[in-house]
Amino acid sequence: MSLLEIQDLHVWFDLEHGGELHAVQGVSLSVDPGERLGLVGESGCGKTTTALAAMGLLPPNASAAGRIMLDGEDILAGGEETIRPHRWVDLAIVFQGAMNALNPVRTVGSQIVEAIELHGRAKGPAARTQTGELLESVGIPAKRAERFPHELSGGMRQRAAIAMALSCNPKVLIADEPTTALDVMVQAQILELLDALCRDFGLALILVTHDLPVVAQLCDLGAVMYAGEIVERATVDALYHSPGHPYTRLLFAATPDLGSNGEVVSIPGAPPRLDLELRGCPFQPRCDRAFGPCTTIHPGLKTIGAGHAAACHLNDLPAIAAP
Amino acid sequence: MRGADYVIKRVAFALLTVFIAVTINFALFRLAPGTAVTNLARVPHATPETRLALKREFGLDKSKLDQYFIYLKQLSRGNLGISFENSQPVRDNLKTALINTIPMVLLGTLFAIVIGTITGVLAAWRRGTAAEGASVTTALAFYSMPTHWLGLMLVILFAGTLPTGGMTNDFLINPSFWQHFKDLVAHITLPALTLGLVLFGEYTLIVRSAMLETLSEDYILTARAKGLRPAAILRMHALRNAMLPIATLIALSLGYIVAGAILVETVFSWPGIGRAVYDAVLARDYPMLQGAFLVLTVSVVFFNLVADLLYFKLDPRITE
Amino acid sequence: MSVAVREPGAVIESEPIRSRRGIVWETIRRRPSAAIGSAILLVIVLGALLAPWLAPYDLHKQVGPVFGHPSWSHPLGLDDGGIDMVTLLMWGARVSLVVGFAATFVSMVIGGTIGVAAGYFGGKTDTTLMRITDYFLVIPDVPLMIVVAAIWGPSLFHIIIVIGILLWTSTARVIRAQVKSVRERVYVKRARSLGASHTRIVFRHVLPQVAPLLIANTVLTIAVAIFDETALAFLGLGDPSRISLGKMIENAFQRAAISTGAWWAIVPPGLLVAVIILSCSLVGGALEDALNPRLRVAHLSARSFRLRPLVGRGREAV
Repeated sequence: MSLLEIQDLHVWFDLEHGGELHAVQGVSLSVDPGERLGLVGESGCGKTTTALAAMGLLPPNASAAGRIMLDGEDILAGGEETIRPHRWVDLAIVFQGAMNALNPVRTVGSQIVEAIELHGRAKGPAARTQTGELLESVGIPAKRAERFPHELSGGMRQRAAIAMALSCNPKVLIADEPTTALDVMVQAQILELLDALCRDFGLALILVTHDLPVVAQLCDLGAVMYAGEIVERATVDALYHSPGHPYTRLLFAATPDLGSNGEVVSIPGAPPRLDLELRGCPFQPRCDRAFGPCTTIHPGLKTIGAGHAAACHLNDLPAIAAP
Repeated sequence: MRGADYVIKRVAFALLTVFIAVTINFALFRLAPGTAVTNLARVPHATPETRLALKREFGLDKSKLDQYFIYLKQLSRGNLGISFENSQPVRDNLKTALINTIPMVLLGTLFAIVIGTITGVLAAWRRGTAAEGASVTTALAFYSMPTHWLGLMLVILFAGTLPTGGMTNDFLINPSFWQHFKDLVAHITLPALTLGLVLFGEYTLIVRSAMLETLSEDYILTARAKGLRPAAILRMHALRNAMLPIATLIALSLGYIVAGAILVETVFSWPGIGRAVYDAVLARDYPMLQGAFLVLTVSVVFFNLVADLLYFKLDPRITE
Repeated sequence: MSVAVREPGAVIESEPIRSRRGIVWETIRRRPSAAIGSAILLVIVLGALLAPWLAPYDLHKQVGPVFGHPSWSHPLGLDDGGIDMVTLLMWGARVSLVVGFAATFVSMVIGGTIGVAAGYFGGKTDTTLMRITDYFLVIPDVPLMIVVAAIWGPSLFHIIIVIGILLWTSTARVIRAQVKSVRERVYVKRARSLGASHTRIVFRHVLPQVAPLLIANTVLTIAVAIFDETALAFLGLGDPSRISLGKMIENAFQRAAISTGAWWAIVPPGLLVAVIILSCSLVGGALEDALNPRLRVAHLSARSFRLRPLVGRGREAV
């Protein structure tokens, strides 16, 4: 039994003039303690929504179906009420650095103290001491707790957010684009920090990003999402070197070396609309290897190797090497 | 002190604006066509000595430029001239009027702020439900009603139950403190309510808008992710941040309540500064008009300054 | 050194959004508040325009007793001069609307010009113009209007000018902000580099983009202008030779309509004004919303997300 298991998750968003957007279509993921899973895909593929749904952080115009099993218990079953007790103490999240994730009119320290006191870890002066220690552990001088978020640099703000996320010793840390919007030097520092913290605290990590080098650096496992579905799941190594889905191949092949200066070759075309029911494979219009069944039959996620699953008809063809 | 220069800059701007308002005031009244206006000494029923004294005080026989400086000098001494109507110093008239207006306006504003905030938060919180629709429609409806007409509506509704004119009952002879107080409260109700209802509409819309803006900010999602309950999020994050635009907008609107006060006081014959303006217009009592206008302008500038400083104090992001 | 990463499938905007011209009509069609508001305004404007032909009675002829009660032939009763209220309402609306539109036109011209000048030329022009706007903003409008009207004397023309002179500030600010953003657009810069004159750019590129917002602001200003007219009329500063909605309220007030119980002399004109202002607010507000779409999701609301039964489409691999 895994620590966190998302089973057949679907998320729909009500659209303004009627109809629904099927943003997440049957996603299943799992992480064990200490495991690091990278959830990758282009913007709009549903990876952030999946991550937010894991913590029940969906907006009022959303509806969800599926199971979110935490230590064997389905926490999604009762909606907001059953999920809330698990927030921060079991599952914690760090958002994108550019976001206004910290309240600008309250000091950084007070916001961490709020989390500590809310979950009964400590009160008053003890909470403040703990906050100081947390900040130090992420490389921020404890005195900065009295500062407001805008007085810290982008990198420091992100560190503070990470400190806050760890304040109640969660089992799973979800990081949603933690290094996007930070400059390269700071990115590296944050990644190192995440790496060290996850190791030291034995955290499971779900890293949501469109930035593949980050996944390569930090994660052991990866899941590739496209148009709301998981199209491939494998070790990061396998995704790089023996992808089982054309999208994965194109995505990872397009990743530049960190040493070069070039622009990314983007995959021509655009992802399909999610407010309409699709026939066949969602990637087919942009795929360079589409054939017969791709336009009519939807490829399910099938195991193609040890711990490697992909959703592509090409894998059913015998004796064809890489798709 | 943080941003001392910001405070100084705003105060300087306020003073400059007052100065410009004073100048415009002078220009309006002294440079307008017709000697009725320019001749401040033309106080009816005044003795020739008073007329002469006024002429000298305000230098009405000198050039316009000289008059301007004399006007400024008199102003700095608090001399606003003599009212045509009751031959009393304008300053004294205005003082009494202001003292009468303030409690009424204060009561109405307080009512509007409290009810408006509750309704506004309710509307934002219950976005997309019938409750929001009802709140917004009600607010818009009251906001659209002409102040004086609403006052008249209330008079029609409450004519028998509550007094609809004046500040006190002139027929109460030697009332005890308690009687006097009850009488005042009875009289202040309708005018304050009128003002309050018109303002409440505006404030509801302001609060709702600010709350909606705040509730869509990222730190609200963070607060929710931390496991906070909705009530706690509303209190500790949403309201706290929405207070910024709300407080400043309310402070700003206070300056413009004077317009509403004029209409309300006219309808209910409330002897305040608004009524003073109205009476002065009717009687072409230009010194009073000029003085009242000055007071009103200064009050707007003052509240604008308060709004500026309030925003500065509440928002830690402003350091410059 | 950083690597430029472009999202696969990203599209760069390079064309001006010509479709913004259709936004006004689109908004009115799609949003119920705007549709209702426009419909009501249309009916009222038509009624006022066609007053000379549609009004049931003569405007100056007494057809009954002073403050005559409502009856079948006079659904809204008679005023203090024995004149039919419905007729008065139609003619009164005419005058009020004329004042409202004309004053708004004045303020739109002033505010629009200042806003475009400040936003387009920037720099010193901008700061000076904005300073002036700030000072005007601070002056309380109703008192100033009262004072100017008192000094100048009541006449329709004076009223229109006075109201117009005080309402332009919000227009100027809004237009300036919009012009500033339009000025930075790619195609404007291209036009400049190709040597197009300022006038040409303003009229061909800037104004069309700014027009919808100007319209929204205008509609909202009309509401304020009509309110100001009623306020001035109520305080005795309206044009005594013409009957406007504001004047009707003032008449009723002066001639003790309330104490005689003639509510029909007071309620309808004010109600009509309220309806006009409300409709303008609805339309103007909806337009503003449509032009500044705040595609922001409430992260917190009384409602929470809904749960649906398991789908179980069996996509999972065995």
